Amino acid sequence: MPKVEIRGLHKYFGENEVLKGIDCDIETGEVVCVIGPSGSGKSTFLRCINCLEEPTSGTIMVDGNIMDAEAKNIDTLREDVGMVFQQFNLFPHLSVIKNITIAPVLRKKMDKAEAERVGLELLARVGLADKANAMPNSLSGGQKQRVAIARALAMRPGLMLFDEPTSALDPEMVGEVLDVMRQLAEEGMTMVVVTHEMGFARQVASRVLFIDGGLIAEEGTPEQVFGNPQNPRTQTFLNQVLEA
Amino acid sequence: MSFVDLLSESMPLLLDGLALTLQLSAVSLIIAMVLGILASLMGMSKNPVLRAINRAYVAIIRGTPLLVQGFFIYFGITGMLNIRISAFMAGVIALSLNAGGYLSEIFRGGIQAVDPGQREAARSLGLSAHQTTWRIIIPQAIRICIPSVVNQWCITIKDTSIISVIGLAELTKVGQQIIARTYRSFEVWIIVGIMYFVIIYLLTILARVVERKVSLDA
Repeated sequence: MPKVEIRGLHKYFGENEVLKGIDCDIETGEVVCVIGPSGSGKSTFLRCINCLEEPTSGTIMVDGNIMDAEAKNIDTLREDVGMVFQQFNLFPHLSVIKNITIAPVLRKKMDKAEAERVGLELLARVGLADKANAMPNSLSGGQKQRVAIARALAMRPGLMLFDEPTSALDPEMVGEVLDVMRQLAEEGMTMVVVTHEMGFARQVASRVLFIDGGLIAEEGTPEQVFGNPQNPRTQTFLNQVLEA
Repeated sequence: MSFVDLLSESMPLLLDGLALTLQLSAVSLIIAMVLGILASLMGMSKNPVLRAINRAYVAIIRGTPLLVQGFFIYFGITGMLNIRISAFMAGVIALSLNAGGYLSEIFRGGIQAVDPGQREAARSLGLSAHQTTWRIIIPQAIRICIPSVVNQWCITIKDTSIISVIGLAELTKVGQQIIARTYRSFEVWIIVGIMYFVIIYLLTILARVVERKVSLDA
């Protein structure tokens, strides 16, 4: 059974059809990078997977469970789907360690001390062991994003979604975040990454989706999509971003 | 009568008036805070009837003067229903309804000012809607609201002076009574003004300390 099964996904915002029928399976252990022009629907596609956006029609299943924002078990299903946002969205009123422990303590009824032990381990993994008691607003963008990754990992998700995780960062901080993501991919995490970092996609992705105009216009291995794109729109897009 | 004589003679009365002003303010503001929270929750409810009630409430409070609201409660409603309530009670009802309306808008604004990404991040971690509201949204909304809430408290404390017109012997009324006896309008209004000023000033200092304590800025 695939980790994620997406069938006939349509999404309208008012009159505007953003996703026009997407079918896609994501297998456990895959690292899928989603690329495409802005406004193509790639972020909406990602946000539908954990039901932050409700599909207008179509189904999304994670581990065979239908994701439905109105369903009683949606909170439990979301526990298995970590998400990292472009704007980090750390909770500014909570210290770094509390940001990480709040969900395990509230949702998994984890003992506070145990949650903190796990949280400190995760912080060490993202290279921020010394920031446990810092407040989010005292961190740099790159540090915030690494904390956000640790926060998502604290729920031990089977799937991680990244929504342009480096787009809001100063250039010198992109590397530290991508390094953490690369390490996560090497450890076998199933990941869906919406990104403009073509180097990262080429290096780390097991599969690349090119979304354009609300449809998957092309997909394949990084070698196929970057080396020998078949769709003229993929060629145009890649020429634009790679030349820039 | 020298200024010092005037001061020493009228001070006990003025302090009684001040005490009543503070009581009226405190009771009204406590009720107003509860009312404001409930009304703001109604205003953000999914139920259109509750939202409509909140909108009507806020519109009436905003659209009519406090003085008219006070007269209506003390004379209008009591006359209509043929009941009697104390001037203090009428003052509390008028002030708490009035401040409650403004506070409900302040609370609603504060909650809606929290970045929507905060809710998304919390829900993506599996937190329920309820947990998200109370653990993530409200604590941030309170910080956003503090300056406007304190501002409303200042306004309501001063608005107690309007309640003097229904005969409650709060600070302003006491001032008038002293002037009626001594004809020392200039000095008495300065003294009364200073007494209001000191109370408000102490409150704003306290508010600034609290604000700094809970600030999220690095």
